[in-house]
Amino acid sequence: MVDVMGPDLISDLPQSIIESILVQLPIRDAVRTSILSSKWRYKWASITQLVFDDKCVPPFSNDREVVERSVVKFITRALFLHQGPIHKFQISNSMLQSCPEIDQWILFLSRNDIKVLVMELGEGEFFRIPSSLFNCRKLTRLELSRCELDPPHSFKGFVCLRSLNLHQVLISPDAVESLISRCPLLESLSLSYFDNLALTISAPNLKYLYLEGEFKDICLEDTPLLVEISIAMYMTDDIAEHFEQSSNCNFLKFLGGVPNLEKLVGLIYFTKYLSIGIDSVHLPIMYHNLETIELYQVNFEDTKEILVILRMITSSPNLKELHISGSSNIPIAADAPDLDFWEKGCLSDSALNKLKTVKLSEMGGWPHEIEFIKYLLCRSPVLETLSIIPCVFDMGNNLKMLIELVKCRRASSRGEVIFIHE
Amino acid sequence: MSEIDMAVIKPEMMKPYIWLETSDGSIQQVEQEIAMYCPLICKEIIQKGMGSSKNCAICLPQRVSPATLSLILDYCRFHQVPGRSNKERKSYDEKFVRMDTKRLCELTSAADSLQLKPLVDLTSRALARIIEGKSPEEIREIFHLPDDLTEEEKLEPLKNTTDDPRIRLLNRLYAKKRKELKERERLKSVEVEEEHIDKRSVDDLLSFINGNEDQKGIKTSKNKKKNRRKKEQHQKNSSLKEASGVNKKEVNGQNIRPPNSEADIIAETSISHTEDVFAHKEFDDGDIDDGIDPALKEKIDREVEDFARRLNSDWPERMQELLSSGQERKTMLFSPNGNSFLRRNA
Repeated sequence: MVDVMGPDLISDLPQSIIESILVQLPIRDAVRTSILSSKWRYKWASITQLVFDDKCVPPFSNDREVVERSVVKFITRALFLHQGPIHKFQISNSMLQSCPEIDQWILFLSRNDIKVLVMELGEGEFFRIPSSLFNCRKLTRLELSRCELDPPHSFKGFVCLRSLNLHQVLISPDAVESLISRCPLLESLSLSYFDNLALTISAPNLKYLYLEGEFKDICLEDTPLLVEISIAMYMTDDIAEHFEQSSNCNFLKFLGGVPNLEKLVGLIYFTKYLSIGIDSVHLPIMYHNLETIELYQVNFEDTKEILVILRMITSSPNLKELHISGSSNIPIAADAPDLDFWEKGCLSDSALNKLKTVKLSEMGGWPHEIEFIKYLLCRSPVLETLSIIPCVFDMGNNLKMLIELVKCRRASSRGEVIFIHE
Repeated sequence: MSEIDMAVIKPEMMKPYIWLETSDGSIQQVEQEIAMYCPLICKEIIQKGMGSSKNCAICLPQRVSPATLSLILDYCRFHQVPGRSNKERKSYDEKFVRMDTKRLCELTSAADSLQLKPLVDLTSRALARIIEGKSPEEIREIFHLPDDLTEEEKLEPLKNTTDDPRIRLLNRLYAKKRKELKERERLKSVEVEEEHIDKRSVDDLLSFINGNEDQKGIKTSKNKKKNRRKKEQHQKNSSLKEASGVNKKEVNGQNIRPPNSEADIIAETSISHTEDVFAHKEFDDGDIDDGIDPALKEKIDREVEDFARRLNSDWPERMQELLSSGQERKTMLFSPNGNSFLRRNA
């Protein structure tokens, strides 16, 4: 049956283009191309990327288990019909929870040169990753969510792994550390939702670090190439106690070995963590590449935390962008704040020669905050924008803040102070 | 290219224009920095020093027609400017791929041959968007695909059977159709099977009549194996001959194990039908070797004589007779049972 309308437009394009097209289709549509024509019968079967998301089997029933069965059938059939290497395999389906077929799929993938594996299963029972995962020698990217991971003792690491992302994964701290240290090419590491973890990271090629969870202690032992860090530290009573008792200088321990840092983001209790031990040591390190600093939930009542910010700023001669967010807690201490702190000679007079953008949010108009703003305005000759977003809880101080700001001396003639209020 | 040649060519590379030859033979001048955006052209210029004049114009691959070349150059002209924002580029790309499907396919092909990966990704994404969500008929119409899968191939269930109720219904219909097709085939093979069975029994009988001298020479048919198995069982159960006879018959039916269920049932019924000469013959073969029940022996003798008569006549006629008697047997098999076989045979 030759179509009289004209020659076939697409079937004879090179396989690389067909693959490029099929890979950008949802997996259901890609599989359906098998009934288009005889040439298309098995074109889908050799695509190297298989992504099964929530749309691959639409939820046709309210019973999760029934939908799960059909998802499992679909994936198993697709794998069975597939020919050739599979470089990327992703399951991001909330209907799918721990089920035995997943073991078989991972075994199958380990025999098919899998390079990128992403498993984001649904809420529910955590799936225990089978040992066949550790035979995937060519793995370059691994992303696991809501799983249980238990590397065997004999595991030598993933020699090609560049990116590791573990989210809500049950794994022992030793196993995490050894996993990280045994992946020599690791460039990007992301660990989130971990409980009570004391972590020492040793990864000579690491460039991007993202941590979120209840971390007791983080030590960057061997990470000279780190370029971007983002840490969100949650607090528990346990950790608070640990902080009280700690005698280390966390600033040094954490930021002591990252001379190439370009961006630092710290959330929740990160600044508090860094503040421990900070006044004890004079810091020699300069961060010449650091251009962006973002510190959130900073407690301006704690002069040590302010010291963290100041030390960071003065060690970064090329800083361009600064975001500071205060904590939305109304200060408990009613007595006069120690404004002498700002007069002390320990604060250098160095100018922030490259600082262009400053954004301050959750500002309550407290004395220390105002001193900080004054400090910035005095020392930033090329400042273009200083935006202030006041804290919504206490509007009374806003007027006071504005009055003080108007009084401030400014080093930058072009600088705009923008007060944003709803 | 020697170093001196490269040194001579270098100043010429400063010239803003290069020459390109398209598939139809026409040669045109193009600004160099725009054309260099295509990796293939870039390689030709730098590594081979081509394109500096009309005589050594760069021959573009066959898939690049003049029309597609001008489209590609538009794309390159926009994107090679470094100052554009990502938003601008994206917006340009969206507008750029709005063209008819035929041109889009040609453009993809040409971009691929020039190794211009960003454009290949862009056009294949556009093609994917065209395919997404459409029915097979619509897709075939858009791309002029021939509808050349056989009925059988189309009957393979689509992988997303469980969700779309229309497709579920379709697959149920297809499954029914497939079943019917398979049954039709099974029936054909059933008839063949029966002839086989008949044939084998003839061989058995021949060997029996000839005094088992050819037993080794005869192919081990299924029935032969069955006979041997029967012998073993008969030895085990020699005390309960009558009872075991019945058992064996049933076991017999199971031991035949023809490739499909209908023949299975046929075989079973043939065995269980005690009046059936054919079944008895096989059964008797094993019996005779091991010491036989005298009551049955008479029956056997009678039947052997009958058969010997037949064998004395001509072979083809014999075959015909046998086959026709086989047919009779078949109908004999079917009518007492009166089940769906009649329907299927019809």
